[in-house]
Amino acid sequence: MPLDTSTYNLALLRVDGRRWNELRRIHAQIRTQAAADGSSYLEMGHTKVMCVVTGPSEPGPRRGVAGAGGGGGGGGAGGQSKEAEVVVNIVIAGFSSVDRKRRGRGDKRTLEMQSTLSNTLAATLHTHLFPHSQINISLHVLSQDGSLLAALINAATLACVDAGIPMTDYVTACTAGSTSTYAANDEGADPLLDLNHQEEQELPGLTVATLGDSDKVVALVCESRVQISRLEGMLAVGVDGCKQVREILDQVIKAQGQKMILEGTVDKGTGLNDMDLD
Amino acid sequence: MPITILPPKFSHPPPPPQDISDSDSDLSSDDGGAHLDFASLGLPNRKPNPANNPLFTNLVTPGTLITPDPQWMRGHGTYIPPHTTHITSSLAGIITRTNKLISVSPLRARYTPEVGDLVVGRIVEVQAKRWRVDVGSVQLASLPLSAINLPGGILRKRTETDELQIRTFFAEGDLVVAEVQQLFQDGGAVLHTRSLKYGKLRNGLFAAVSGVGGGSGVVRSRRQVWTMEGQNGGGKMDVILGVNGYVWISKHVEQVAKELEQKHMGITNMEENVSAGVYSSQNDPIDSDTMREITRLRGVVTALVENGCRVDEDMVIRGYAEACEMAMLSETGPEDIYLGGQRGEELTRALRGN
Repeated sequence: MPLDTSTYNLALLRVDGRRWNELRRIHAQIRTQAAADGSSYLEMGHTKVMCVVTGPSEPGPRRGVAGAGGGGGGGGAGGQSKEAEVVVNIVIAGFSSVDRKRRGRGDKRTLEMQSTLSNTLAATLHTHLFPHSQINISLHVLSQDGSLLAALINAATLACVDAGIPMTDYVTACTAGSTSTYAANDEGADPLLDLNHQEEQELPGLTVATLGDSDKVVALVCESRVQISRLEGMLAVGVDGCKQVREILDQVIKAQGQKMILEGTVDKGTGLNDMDLD
Repeated sequence: MPITILPPKFSHPPPPPQDISDSDSDLSSDDGGAHLDFASLGLPNRKPNPANNPLFTNLVTPGTLITPDPQWMRGHGTYIPPHTTHITSSLAGIITRTNKLISVSPLRARYTPEVGDLVVGRIVEVQAKRWRVDVGSVQLASLPLSAINLPGGILRKRTETDELQIRTFFAEGDLVVAEVQQLFQDGGAVLHTRSLKYGKLRNGLFAAVSGVGGGSGVVRSRRQVWTMEGQNGGGKMDVILGVNGYVWISKHVEQVAKELEQKHMGITNMEENVSAGVYSSQNDPIDSDTMREITRLRGVVTALVENGCRVDEDMVIRGYAEACEMAMLSETGPEDIYLGGQRGEELTRALRGN
């Protein structure tokens, strides 16, 4: 029993000692790969992912049918289109989970995550500024402990910001769940924020991604059976979690910018109040 | 006696001081974890709140509202959400204002070509009447056959024969130095090499660093090409800093000047007398001292970029002098050309100190 309901009711603490509305530790870095256009590394608890963005650039030679079908879907018809195509490639390392499992290129779950990410980012990045080009996002999963899709979305957002690709706003994601299973008709079920692997296995959960500070949901994935009455609470908690994640990612980007200003790498710029109008 | 576990009392302590410079983003939520109040502990708060630093007021991240005032015009790196007049940033970068135009220059981005830029590029594709050149931009640039100096004397018309032997001028993988002549609406660039300064690159070493577009790297400056004297027995070296961040460092060859002397020709018809030698892919012999100095110079350029410095003529020349001094102090003498890691940091610190 991963989440002993009796204990939870008494202490309101989850298996890893968090309360219902607490995120796990999020640690993020950008510019981890000097040679890439944009790169990031993100940890959400023990889920660790790396992301590298290449582009926007001229699309290379068209890949085989399998590769194109897996990654594409986002920006439409590739090289000749008026918008950049967002191609996402996810590699899940064999050592990333507890049981060593080899996932091939054609793994259905990976493909689904690829197309979710590709569609989400294609809607948020300003792809119309880069006609006939392609944005390659390659993600590597180093360690899995639940909320994998959310971590992938957050890492991809950070890497895209680092690559200087214009976007409407940050896309941040996190998961939400409910304290009791679908079958247990528990009226007092609490929504939970940021599920870890154990909780994800046993409890109903969903992944939600929102656009910046707003409540606009840009991606919502639910793969488990959940009672409709609990959905609203889960969604509300999830959206709130996304805002917290946004703050954390924003701090990471700002810290990098401040470092660059202090080192004199970039100018401090001219703001609206810096000088009078001519 | 049975143990009773009491439910925690939810309290809302004031949010911890936002110490951004700490760069550790561990504050997962406001009502959890230990709240360290530096003031109450009697410890000095190490750094002032960076949000109040006037240096950082122009730093924006995607989705930041810049101004709701409709009097401003939006430029690059900004957008206006539908049904509003709010100019919003779409990049992480620095606000720059030119009169009424507001734009955001990114912290880092790919090179965006502008007319007149000196670029170094690599030929990736040969087509019927043009080459496609990688200049590190969003799209490949194109170099039409009509925009190069054809060999064989007078400024002649390009013929079908030239089209057939297009590969004899530039083939795939060749490096060229060129100028951006024209831009397309979608950001694609057209290059030309109609000058003796431009053309195929030989006798040297290529380095790709980040270019104009944000952050460290090559900056647009008055002089992008110069010749400098090599130390430690090295000969003269040519340095070409492409605005796109591609750098070419080569041995200096006085070929053109020599040819002119032989033929006793004026400077007016110099460009008409380009021989086929310009399109040769054969390197001249380079002595090992010059090779070593070329490598050292490349080490300087990469060290500058790694440590967030601008790369321009002044920095490279000073950096090279500094690197030579550092090499003299080391055990192996001038043979020591390593400028990575700590030595690179040392080098840039010395340059910044001046």
